[in-house]
Amino acid sequence: MSRNVAIIGASAIPVGRHQTADDAALQTLEHEIMTRLVVEAVRDAGVDKQDIQSLVFTLPRPYTRQKYFHTFLMGQLRLSCRGNVMEVMGNGMTAALAFDQACNDIMLGRSNVSLALGINMESAVSAAEHMMSSMRTTGDVDFHTSAGFTPIAWYAMDAMRYMHEHGATREQLGSVAVKNRHHASLNPLAQYRKPITLEEVVGQRPIVEPLGLYDVPPRGDGAACLVLASEDVAKELGRPYVLVRGRGFCHDGTHQISDVPNDMIAFTSARQAAATAYEQAGLSPADIDVAELYAPCTIVEVLVSEALGLVPSGQGARAAFEGETRLGGRIPISTSGGLTSRGHPAYVTSLYNYVELAEQLRGRAGERQVANARFGIATGELGNYNAALIHVLEAKP
Amino acid sequence: MTLATVAIDADRAYPPRLSDFTQTFWSALGQGRWQTSCCKACGKQTFPPKPVCPHCWSTEIEWTELSPRGTLYSWTRIHAAPAVFAAESPYACGIVDLDNGIRLACRLVERDDRPLAVGQPVEMVVLQYRDGPLFAARPAD
Repeated sequence: MSRNVAIIGASAIPVGRHQTADDAALQTLEHEIMTRLVVEAVRDAGVDKQDIQSLVFTLPRPYTRQKYFHTFLMGQLRLSCRGNVMEVMGNGMTAALAFDQACNDIMLGRSNVSLALGINMESAVSAAEHMMSSMRTTGDVDFHTSAGFTPIAWYAMDAMRYMHEHGATREQLGSVAVKNRHHASLNPLAQYRKPITLEEVVGQRPIVEPLGLYDVPPRGDGAACLVLASEDVAKELGRPYVLVRGRGFCHDGTHQISDVPNDMIAFTSARQAAATAYEQAGLSPADIDVAELYAPCTIVEVLVSEALGLVPSGQGARAAFEGETRLGGRIPISTSGGLTSRGHPAYVTSLYNYVELAEQLRGRAGERQVANARFGIATGELGNYNAALIHVLEAKP
Repeated sequence: MTLATVAIDADRAYPPRLSDFTQTFWSALGQGRWQTSCCKACGKQTFPPKPVCPHCWSTEIEWTELSPRGTLYSWTRIHAAPAVFAAESPYACGIVDLDNGIRLACRLVERDDRPLAVGQPVEMVVLQYRDGPLFAARPAD
């Protein structure tokens, strides 16, 4: 049995500060956002309510008051399903897993139309308080958290090592942030859209050295919904769609750090997952036209672009600095603005990456359209890319 | 051989939990002894210490010494800290490759005369807080 999966619809709210403080007279309610997005995405897809037989939600943040959000939403929409209804969680990989599981439901024949959707609300909680939780997600809570490690501290150590090994400069890393802000300036869904200069990036206060404020992701809220369908359904609709051509996953068997010394910045799980995805798609890195990477910091985009073979190893920062990864460049990366400027509502971040590829590969990305974009790649990850989940997508005009 | 101790007049911001198994590590560390679990079947050490060998899954474990010296593989200085660490920030953390082949991540103690740099030799030290120990590394001569 082999059934191809297509993306046929998408919707999202602009990433930003949507969560209300507990004492606000009027509250932003997650389900009101989510029900509107479902209706919008399903209209975009051109299918009917009763066609939807599976929904895979990302787990909401603990700050969302409504528990069992996924089944609550089924009631809000009076959706009855025979395929699957579930919430998934995988740290930074959460949204990529939601997309992947929705694909599985179609491939297994459990549904012909599935939704991958979710909402992440956290911006009303201060960074220092939020980190009290997030510091427990990376590393060993007894042996690492006790030393004060935070999630992005690990990426900072990647940056320090990368600069040491390859002679990369702060300016080269910072150019990723400048490039992504330019892309975000063209994306109505982006959180930060005012162009910035390299001087401004390098001049920001340090957050985790050598990374400054603009090298790391802002905090924000977001929600998105993808409509997936069997390719047969997509063809019958007679509109452009996006085919899932390849999928690769790898967990490298370590959590954050390997006690057996390895090349920490090689991101071997991303290399392995990409190789699997390319092979399944029958493609090579040179075939890719646009990439939407799960890259919370400037350094991570550099390392993932190398791990996926989009740029040579050790050359990612230089390539970004020289404009190769900018819109109009050899291989545009993070045309949405990436996690540093489009925004990073972590549990739904990958949904936004698929939304961007759905726009690019259906020729609907407006000013940031990559000309003749045919093949796209998206990544999800957890830890310090200890695990990677990668999808290769194809435009079907 | 015991590790040098740095006394700190404060409680640990986020103390580790103890288990029947890990208390062996933490009590030894409090006395300056630097050791971890070693698999009797395959002979491999692992860190943090584990009651099951991650390499061969044997449960026959003994405690053996770790190297007190190593090399700084990478480091960072954390300025944006979680609420409980705010009073200590900025503080440095890093990844150390011990001379006997174990890689670990820990707090770094800075020295004015030896700025942190990738590749520099470091020595492990015990941070002796009021409520118990933590391990750290600092630049070595």
